[in-house]
Amino acid sequence: MKGSVQAILKPLTYIALAISLTAISFQLIGYSSPLLAKSILEGAVGSPDAITNSVRWALPLLVTSLGVVVAFRSGFFNVGAQGQFYAGAIAVAFVVYPLEGLPPAIMTPAAVCAGIAGGALWALCPAILRLTYGTDEVITTLMGNFIAALALIEVTTGVLKDPAGTGQSSSTRPIDAVYRWSDATGVSTTLILVATVCVVVVWILLNRTSFGVLAGLAGRNPTMLVWQGATEWRLGCAAFLVSGGMAGLAGAMEVLGPNGQLISDFLPTDGFTAILIALVGGLSVPGSLIASLFFGGLAAATLYLPIMAGLPSSAVDVINAVIAILITARAWPKGFERLLMFMSPAHD
Amino acid sequence: MTDFLIAVLVAGTPLVYVAMAGMLAQRTGVWNLGLEGLMVIGACASVVGTKMTDSVALGVLLAAAMCVVASIFLWVAVEVLKANPIIAGLGLTGLGLGGTRLAVQTLYGSEAAVQVERGLPHLDPALGPFSALSIFAIFMPILVAALWVATRRTRFGLRLAAVGEHPFAARSVGASPARYRLVALVLGGILCALGGAELALGSLRFFSANMTAGRGYMAFSAVIFGAANPIGVAAAALFFSAVEVTGVKAQLTLAGAIPQNLILALPYIATVFGLWLSGRTGRRTRVSLAELRDY
Repeated sequence: MKGSVQAILKPLTYIALAISLTAISFQLIGYSSPLLAKSILEGAVGSPDAITNSVRWALPLLVTSLGVVVAFRSGFFNVGAQGQFYAGAIAVAFVVYPLEGLPPAIMTPAAVCAGIAGGALWALCPAILRLTYGTDEVITTLMGNFIAALALIEVTTGVLKDPAGTGQSSSTRPIDAVYRWSDATGVSTTLILVATVCVVVVWILLNRTSFGVLAGLAGRNPTMLVWQGATEWRLGCAAFLVSGGMAGLAGAMEVLGPNGQLISDFLPTDGFTAILIALVGGLSVPGSLIASLFFGGLAAATLYLPIMAGLPSSAVDVINAVIAILITARAWPKGFERLLMFMSPAHD
Repeated sequence: MTDFLIAVLVAGTPLVYVAMAGMLAQRTGVWNLGLEGLMVIGACASVVGTKMTDSVALGVLLAAAMCVVASIFLWVAVEVLKANPIIAGLGLTGLGLGGTRLAVQTLYGSEAAVQVERGLPHLDPALGPFSALSIFAIFMPILVAALWVATRRTRFGLRLAAVGEHPFAARSVGASPARYRLVALVLGGILCALGGAELALGSLRFFSANMTAGRGYMAFSAVIFGAANPIGVAAAALFFSAVEVTGVKAQLTLAGAIPQNLILALPYIATVFGLWLSGRTGRRTRVSLAELRDY
């Protein structure tokens, strides 16, 4: 019992600590923290529109973070979700535009496959480098983010550039409404269905299959993995592919959902926030679900801040970053431990 | 050829300073992925400080102060609160990128580039192409040599390495790993500030959001590629800059033949290639993720 209380209290404590630290800093540099808090709340849950908006931002974050959960649980620091997200989006664009005219019943599965395949293939490069040559995946996946961002610019200003767009615009032309998964609000039955299927599939994968058991083993003790008769190569490849595939699917959701076209530099912090969500959620599927709603709310509020409170939207980036610095902390400041013992029902 | 070498030195100096910071942290066993954030903080603070005080020296001093504070924050998270260094480092990078945008917006009302009149002192214009080098670029080989001596030939350097490789052994001779990591991170903070200042004030004389564009991560790769040996790390950093400069030159001569974005991606690809090479030679630090699920 103490364990589960800790599992919930600990991330909450560090989020609270991070928010207090940033609130104090904002106050010191001359912003009003109560106003910031008020406008974040209003922007995230203040009205039905705000809630819709929070869900809209939470959906791609949730799907991306599920991929991060799979990779991190297996012991692979795949911090390239952003690049895989873009790769999936690019792949979708390359399938949707040439196949225009086909019935949506064929197009939708094709787009899903393209998104997953794009992200998975992008993740496969660092996976092979890591598993075959021992090249550390942290930097290779990070570099993949930069390369994918440049590839996205190349595609949206080159081959797939909207011919009607002005010289400066870098996006593809709008996708026909019949192929879209949602309108610009970004919340629709299709998108929610896709996200739900992802949640269920990843939960089953991690908790009810041998892959999940072996992944957990690989993350904790790679030697034991080999003793269990599994090969790190196959398991690692699978983990990277699933992880990249999820991020790629999130990219597909953005392109066919709220964006309706491929835009260069869209959602530039999706990957980073997804990592944060996976960690805040304790690398569990239900945890990520809850955490993604929280960070989706923050993302929705980002757009309101400049309008409602005259605050720069980078304020939310700062809050996220401070949470990231503190969230993996394992030690409790002295005194917390005792407080926790006191609060948990099963102390003895 | 001289032009090429000078272009490599101009592009590579910020990278070398930041890579030296990463090297110090790496030797004490901390993977410092906050280099990118520290570098952007250094670039921003040096420009803002120079603009405010009209003195480059004070600007660089402000940058050093900000980077030291940020480094201490990282140290507290990693050492006192036992946070995962990789995630905390990425968080610090996010803090640097977001915080500098916030700072520029707060101070100047928009996120547009901040221009300054003054920059770092340069060599005498009479020296022709060499006048492109700032004093930081001239000082760079001395710094690398000094750090080589400090890490390889002094008691401090040996203890620094002991802290990273065998903390128990270090503790048994009275070297506190926590304290050595603090020293390494604070020194690294100053070096990142200098690297950021060189990037912003060396020849460009402006700061714009995200201007580091992954150079901090490249510097970190140079640390791995150069096996945390100051000379190897500096060579790796200059190699990455050489690739970048080659790309720029190729863009001028082969305009249109190669997509511009592919050329821009060259340094990142070179970084992956460099890491792959160093992985093949069998130098690898394994990091565990298991602790992330302990709660």
